[in-house]
Amino acid sequence: MLVLAVAALAASGPALASEQHPTLDELEAMLVCPSCHVPLDESNSPIAQQMKAYIAKRIAQGATRSEIVDELVGPPNNLGVAVLGVPRTHGFDLIAWVLPFAGIGIAAVAVGAGAWRWSRNRKEDEPPGLRRLDPALDRRVDEELARFDG
Amino acid sequence: MRVIRAATAVVVVALLGLLVWDVAHRSGGHVASDVNKGEIVKAPAFSLPRVQGSGHISLASLRGKAVVLNFWASDCVPCKQEQKELNAAARKWDGKNVVFLGVDEIEVRSFAQHYLEHYKVPYQSVADGDGSLAGKFGVTGTPETFFIDKYGRVVPPHIIGVLKSDPGGLEAGIRRALTA
Repeated sequence: MLVLAVAALAASGPALASEQHPTLDELEAMLVCPSCHVPLDESNSPIAQQMKAYIAKRIAQGATRSEIVDELVGPPNNLGVAVLGVPRTHGFDLIAWVLPFAGIGIAAVAVGAGAWRWSRNRKEDEPPGLRRLDPALDRRVDEELARFDG
Repeated sequence: MRVIRAATAVVVVALLGLLVWDVAHRSGGHVASDVNKGEIVKAPAFSLPRVQGSGHISLASLRGKAVVLNFWASDCVPCKQEQKELNAAARKWDGKNVVFLGVDEIEVRSFAQHYLEHYKVPYQSVADGDGSLAGKFGVTGTPETFFIDKYGRVVPPHIIGVLKSDPGGLEAGIRRALTA
């Protein structure tokens, strides 16, 4: 438990530092040019250059990573979620959001149905005699066993 | 087994349908192409933040006036070339029931603000940060200029590129929007 806690603390340190003191490189790798749809660090489009300049300026002003990203997506720049490189939440791109959950749901149903069917088949496969002994026969088996034990 | 096959076929057909719909949807609005054919079409409604100052400007708030809608960007060289002419026209038509409105395309706001200050643009601009309004109008680049009449309908001409590419187009568009 202690080892896990120490590991979690060790991992959270750099993440916290990155959030509080982001670098231009990491934000350029994280964000996408909204007109050419390639990572910012691979684009020299006018909007990519504007975004890079904005990020550098805000880093110099001490803005956090979340603040910078929020300001690009929403007010004052309103460039939208396209700068995050995430699929849209409508149209064909919606599949990217829905498919993982649908896949998990379908897999769960398939596993459940398979398990139910397998357990049912097992019961049907059992010989009829093994299901339940006739009470008279059952009593006789008990008597025979008692005789052997005795 | 037959049920699984049928379900798979339904899923594939549904995905194909969604893809076709999306491609058709993504091809943008038909305003520009319809106006280029000489048609008068309803302008897509919008409410976008001002580039300078606070608040939004909606198309509905401009109902009853002729609107000159100019799509621009600060890094667009032709936009700079036509800005002087647009400024002069805006001053000329000021107070004559004509509103000039710029639509700044996909830009960091401070760059757009700097452009408006540098070129002393005498009219308001709104920020189309994600380019969605340009998509609805079917804009393919900047600059492009549309004319909207007092009923909120886009009327011809639609000027693609600098105003000089369509001599007299600006004046004709304003007059048509006023009289439509």
